[in-house]
Amino acid sequence: MKRRIFLMGLAGLAGCTSGRRPRLNVFNWSNYVAPDTIADFESEFGVRVRYAVYESNEEMLAKVISGNSGWDVVFPSNYFIRPMREQRLLTPLRHDWLPELSALRGTFRSPSWDPVLQWCVPYMWGGTGIVYNRKLTPPPASWSFLWDARLAGRITMLDDPSEVLGAALKKLGVSVNSTDPAQLRRAQQEALAQKPLLRAYLNAEVRDQLVAGDVLSAQLWTNTAQQALDGSPDLGFVFPSEGFPLYADNAAILRESRHPELAHRFINYLLRPRVSASIAGAARAATANGAAQALLPDAVRQNPTLYPPPEVLARGEWWETPPAAIQRLRDRLWTEIKSA
Amino acid sequence: MKRLLALYAVIAYAFLHLPLLILTVFSFNASRFTVWEGFSLDWYAAAVRDPQLVEAAFNSLVIAVVATVISTVIGTLCAYGLWKRGSRWFSGTLYLSLVTPEIVMGISLLAFYQWLFRFFGARLGMHTVIGAHVAFSIAFVVVVVIARLRTFDATLEEAAMDLGATEWQAFRSVTLPALAPAVGASALLAFTLSFDDYVITSLVAGVDSETLPMVIYAMARRGANPVVNAVSAFIVLGLTVLILAAEKLRET
Amino acid sequence: MTRLRLYFLTPAALSLTLLFLAPLAIVLVYSLMNRGVWGGVELPYTVENYRRLLDPIYLGILLRSFLMAGAATLACLLLGFPLALFIARAGKRQSLYLHLVIVPFWTSFLVRTYAWMFLLRDTGLVNTALLALGFIREPLPLLYNSFAVLVGLVYGYLPFMVLPLYATLAKIDRSLLEAAADLGARPWQSLRRVIVPLAAPGIRAGAVLVFIPCLGAYLTPDLLGGSKTIMIGNVIQNQFTSSRDWPFGSAVSLAVMAVVMALLLGWLRREKERLL
Repeated sequence: MKRRIFLMGLAGLAGCTSGRRPRLNVFNWSNYVAPDTIADFESEFGVRVRYAVYESNEEMLAKVISGNSGWDVVFPSNYFIRPMREQRLLTPLRHDWLPELSALRGTFRSPSWDPVLQWCVPYMWGGTGIVYNRKLTPPPASWSFLWDARLAGRITMLDDPSEVLGAALKKLGVSVNSTDPAQLRRAQQEALAQKPLLRAYLNAEVRDQLVAGDVLSAQLWTNTAQQALDGSPDLGFVFPSEGFPLYADNAAILRESRHPELAHRFINYLLRPRVSASIAGAARAATANGAAQALLPDAVRQNPTLYPPPEVLARGEWWETPPAAIQRLRDRLWTEIKSA
Repeated sequence: MKRLLALYAVIAYAFLHLPLLILTVFSFNASRFTVWEGFSLDWYAAAVRDPQLVEAAFNSLVIAVVATVISTVIGTLCAYGLWKRGSRWFSGTLYLSLVTPEIVMGISLLAFYQWLFRFFGARLGMHTVIGAHVAFSIAFVVVVVIARLRTFDATLEEAAMDLGATEWQAFRSVTLPALAPAVGASALLAFTLSFDDYVITSLVAGVDSETLPMVIYAMARRGANPVVNAVSAFIVLGLTVLILAAEKLRET
Repeated sequence: MTRLRLYFLTPAALSLTLLFLAPLAIVLVYSLMNRGVWGGVELPYTVENYRRLLDPIYLGILLRSFLMAGAATLACLLLGFPLALFIARAGKRQSLYLHLVIVPFWTSFLVRTYAWMFLLRDTGLVNTALLALGFIREPLPLLYNSFAVLVGLVYGYLPFMVLPLYATLAKIDRSLLEAAADLGARPWQSLRRVIVPLAAPGIRAGAVLVFIPCLGAYLTPDLLGGSKTIMIGNVIQNQFTSSRDWPFGSAVSLAVMAVVMALLLGWLRREKERLL
């Protein structure tokens, strides 16, 4: 008799838990929200959010490419939007569920990778440049600074095929989005010539070593660079004169999502100027949200690393999705660079 | 020679524990960079307050315990069976399992699961992770246990059976106790493999089955993060206390 | 074949077939296909991936990886044997000492590796100590090279050597050692001629459990080698992530596995011994 009561009690409990709040699964880049962003969303809308992070687009794509990963909202970079669309991984956005969309201004209201914002909503953006220790004089102005033999063993490049090839392409005076195999091969030669001078290929980990002074100069993304600059007054950042790549991370909803409406609410919440400004402050990233940018303190809004002045920005190029054959070539060139 | 050995052991343990000491010291560092800036318990507070960390730790523990039990049992029985009489199929498969790189195991399992799930409408979750951990642990258990079995005198079992024991009884009362250190060592190995695994787990874990290495990896990849150090120090302390308690219990 | 043995082997057979062999068959199929542009695989079938392997670049990396793994295994054996011996002789405290070996490995691998990076950096603890003591005048390059990778590998796989060694050493019959002593053998002699041969199965097990993962290691060379000193594990891992070439990655993996298997079985046959 007692056993039956116990079992029924368990069943009752199980029934109770099925009346839980709905849950949204968000997969984002690391360090891209403020400490209270998620918690505030959860309490305001009475839902739960599972929030996990990734370090690269490839990592995210590998998880979601199967079509039943369980994630609802992801944040692909701009050059990943087209491939994901072509793989039928994204669901079109309903603007009537995104009233805060008007907070986006200028380029980000109709970006080149999604002019009518049918598939994604720009979130944060940045570029790639050179962090350097102020001990080095004169300060760098060009990508060739990272090829300087005098700095051998104290420079690093990003562990990213596009970025390494991109810097080499820029050094050769051509576009980072070059689709010319001959130019790409020359860029590979540059990268191979540089490799012995490098201490390592490092991403965010190099921040620590820049602050400690082990590494004197590094190729870095602007938000990580800003974090390094925060850590030490001896560091400076520069956008090379030949030009540099720009990227933008965007919020998108997966087609497999079981909570499209809730996903829209989340993206709408992220578009609120206050929320976006808070994230930009915590993540030390540049927000794509124009209204949020206006709310930022002057010191941040005019930070040359995060929000470069127009004449500097003009030298930047947005990353573009390469055609399939060129993508394959780039991948192979990277394997060869790494294996050398 | 005993003293030499003891001296050596001290040095060896120091080598093994030095990184642990470092990260414990830095878990009390007020600065988030690896330049000492003052004593602080902030990171411990942050670690305990982080629900994701706590849940991941719990998941890791559950997965490790279940996978260890399963793989140790399966592995020990398998080792015994192979010791009695070899099997080319088994030897080959187990060797293959040992020489397979982790990433290959992970990718292959992911592909397999995805293919399987098309028929069952299931998803990745704790069960897929446990399955993966069992898969890679079995070979380790077999190798360790069988190494011990090869130095075990088979005639002891025969003697028991001559005295009227069944095969099962001979195994249970004669061989198994003698295997205890080997089984224990392999269980420890399996637990460590499972608890610490990142590559395979990150590939086959579902949305709900984040493990501690995955969370820590995500945090640590962005540069030194003392919360990670705090968590690690926490885990080590917690597990050590558990082990000591289990030891005490065993002795009484 | 007795029924008991059949029962004992069945769970292992099922688990291995379902969770290992079937997935591996899929990898075999992948290695014969073409890559999808954004990852994954697509038809048509091809042997191009295997042909690409014969490029001297990859053969060079394979050789380098073998040397590195071999060095790490040897180091683990030399460092691990005395420790395992110590633990095996520790009487009641065996369990405790064994746990002390494992405890550092309950921290995240990544965190341990970062601790090593901190120790080996130019401004890290080792260099600072050496500079302070006056042994060197400029920091030694201890990080982002093969030395660091070796240290990382040895550190990471020492328990895999210690545990199997301990398992065999723990049950060595003490009376054999007493007999050797009675016959006039000094401690070093009885070590060399009694203990080591008796521990041979454990040594073999440990060597295999260390060498093979070291060969396929990629996180250690990635982090401690600065992503510059790469081993075959890195090549494989790159193919499944940033290079998006699953078929080639599968082909490299299977090729490496085949080579290692051949060497392993060849070695064991020569020793007239079996591991499994």
